Amino acid sequence: MAPTLGNLALWLSLVFAGSQFYNTRKKNKLKIISISVIGLLISSLFSFFLLIYLYVISDFSVLNVFQNSHTTKPLFYKITAVWGNHEGSMLLWIIVLTIFNYFIFKLYNKKNFIFVSKTLEIQSFITLGFIVFTILTSNPFERMVPVQENGLGFNPILQDPALAIHPPLLYIGYVGFSAAFSISVATLVLKNGKNFPWYKYMKPFVMVAWTFLTIGIALGSLWAYYELGWGGWWFWDPVENASFMPWLLGTALLHSLIIVDKKQSLQAWVLLLSILAFLLSVVGTFLVRSGILTSVHAFALDPTRGIYILLFIAILGGYSLMLFSSKSKIYSTKNYFNFFSKEGSILVNNIIMVVACATVLLGTIYPLLMEALTGNKISIGEPYYNSTVVPIMLPAILIMGVGPILSWGKESVLEIAKKVSSVFIITLAMTIIIFSIYKSYTFLGIAGIVLAFWIIFNNLTTLYRNKFNNLTGMVVAHLGVGFLMLGITASSIWQVEEIIKMKLKSETEINKYQIFFNEINEIKGSNYLSLRGDFLVYDKGKNIIAKLKPENRFYPVTGNFTSEASIHTNLFRDLYIVLGEGNINEGWTVRLYYNPLVVWIWIGAFTIFLGGVISINKSLKRMPK
Amino acid sequence: MKNKFLKLPIILFFIILFIFFYLLIIDRNPAKVPSALLNKNVPIFVTKTLVKNEKFSSSKEFGDQVTLVNFFATWCKPCKDEHAFIMRFSSEKNIKIVGINYKDNPKKTIEWLKKLGNPYSNVALDKNGKIAIDWGVYGIPETFIINSRGIIKYRHVGAITPKIYKKINLIIKEIE
Repeated sequence: MAPTLGNLALWLSLVFAGSQFYNTRKKNKLKIISISVIGLLISSLFSFFLLIYLYVISDFSVLNVFQNSHTTKPLFYKITAVWGNHEGSMLLWIIVLTIFNYFIFKLYNKKNFIFVSKTLEIQSFITLGFIVFTILTSNPFERMVPVQENGLGFNPILQDPALAIHPPLLYIGYVGFSAAFSISVATLVLKNGKNFPWYKYMKPFVMVAWTFLTIGIALGSLWAYYELGWGGWWFWDPVENASFMPWLLGTALLHSLIIVDKKQSLQAWVLLLSILAFLLSVVGTFLVRSGILTSVHAFALDPTRGIYILLFIAILGGYSLMLFSSKSKIYSTKNYFNFFSKEGSILVNNIIMVVACATVLLGTIYPLLMEALTGNKISIGEPYYNSTVVPIMLPAILIMGVGPILSWGKESVLEIAKKVSSVFIITLAMTIIIFSIYKSYTFLGIAGIVLAFWIIFNNLTTLYRNKFNNLTGMVVAHLGVGFLMLGITASSIWQVEEIIKMKLKSETEINKYQIFFNEINEIKGSNYLSLRGDFLVYDKGKNIIAKLKPENRFYPVTGNFTSEASIHTNLFRDLYIVLGEGNINEGWTVRLYYNPLVVWIWIGAFTIFLGGVISINKSLKRMPK
Repeated sequence: MKNKFLKLPIILFFIILFIFFYLLIIDRNPAKVPSALLNKNVPIFVTKTLVKNEKFSSSKEFGDQVTLVNFFATWCKPCKDEHAFIMRFSSEKNIKIVGINYKDNPKKTIEWLKKLGNPYSNVALDKNGKIAIDWGVYGIPETFIINSRGIIKYRHVGAITPKIYKKINLIIKEIE
């Protein structure tokens, strides 16, 4: 019953999306449009909740539930398993699309009927594409006979709270750019777009998308840090890149929108960026789901899905970019900026973000290009990105410290020097202090630390001076970037790694900490068995600071082994320990990491998120009524 | 000039899409790591055998019939996981199976094979991992198929799964 109902709701949302497309295109009455929009929202939400229900009651007559769930799974993970697989996550993607669709609909007022209708038309086209894709190639309500006793369970490394909320947040980010895309295309179609404040409508959507994309990426990275047990938090995996590229363009977009709002220049550029940001989001989906490349994230291989998404991207991209090349001319202006001004600094930021994005894109598709041309497989990894993207981003960070305190228009170099001199001195002092503690010097390391303090103190003084005002969101977000930068740099240059074989009751040392292997126990978890090591950490004065308990888990249902790192965190460092293979006679392989200041990465990301939320609030208040 | 510049995004866009499309329609496996030795002769090596500690010479072992070569060790979990499949190959008797015991303790290996069953017609010892280097082994387990003229026809990195098991069977039929 419920599966049929879910399927029906999915088909119904297809009908409503079609009707929204037709009625907005024909510019029919608002009432008819509103029925489609609300019908679409309700039917897609309904099918989504039905799927959740099917997971909760473990209905194994449904193929998707059978493949991804199991009765022994805790309730919370039964629910999150809904979007832990391809079909279910497409449904999540669709409901996020329809929710944004509803918010666009909410923009209607007396003056903007044509503009909002056009935006809704584009948005419903995108929604249609994804619903058709889901129904044809990835229907989560597909039944199976005979009905099975129990499910296959799902990948245990996905059974984790951070990962449970990572996809929804990421999708709000990706899909949020769809609204910006629709607004951009609608503007290009519009005859008098130049005089219409379309950017004011676009801004809150971009803000929301970017803010949630930021926290979504951060959570994914946090998960990788403690779950994969490699001691790192970013691996330049193609799918990580797929989320990082829209983020870079989103960052450029966010900042350019400020200029458009203030000066009405850069309009053509913003229209292009918003198109590209969404296209890159969909390309990301393509990369994950088509099986064109391998990655820890990749879903099941299925070429028909790939062809379908590719076709859809070709239509979206072909239409929007063609429109851009023919219609964007009227939006270009010949306003030149002064370099030492707020708009000058934003422009430089823009160029850097776009160049960084292009570099990541090149690194991601170059192996595919080479394979297509020569048939040889090559792989591009960390060294490429570390030696290209990192130096590209450094100047952006430098400017970020100064940009916000510059004025619009023009400013003399002397004025700037006056504004920043005190911060400059604090930064130098802090850098000297921190390097006297850690005593390891590399050029990039010093540059990173100096810049991190530079931003942190610049923004802290601004925050202190201005109290709460219009710019608070931005200042908080920038402060977050400073923290992030501090964490990234410190944990990259000062990480200490030890891999040793340890017997029970033996002892080792990592960076002034004594680690004592106390005992090892077998533990029975909710749906796994585990071997848990018990390690005691002493400091120099022989005081116990922490008990670390890394585990090796075995999930009998899927037959997977996972290792759970155990981490002791404080504001200055993480002690990170992973239990490897071994036995009682020969001891166990143990990996130990000393990761300085790594917690500041997550504090930074959360601070950025907070800044984003404050700014969303502000920009919603400034929407045209 | 300006107009051309505006067309740049769309041109780049379609070039990228075209590459994706091409890679989707051609027959390829993104997880497959190509072997530099594919379609080349088996590397020549001499070592000791596991059970009887006799001389093991590659030129004598390979090249008279279709052979499956499996790099394994007792300390490697995936090797244990795939062992059932190697046993299946041995019970089907379509193919000669040679094991190469990688960086392992011979005594333990003999025990291990007693416990889990011994599918190998012969096991060569690769105590310091030198043979594995010659074969370009990434990480064990790895499995190679060699035809009756001693030429490497297939390589699989990682444990044998039901899918790979089927594939190897097809390949065996093909080269026989």
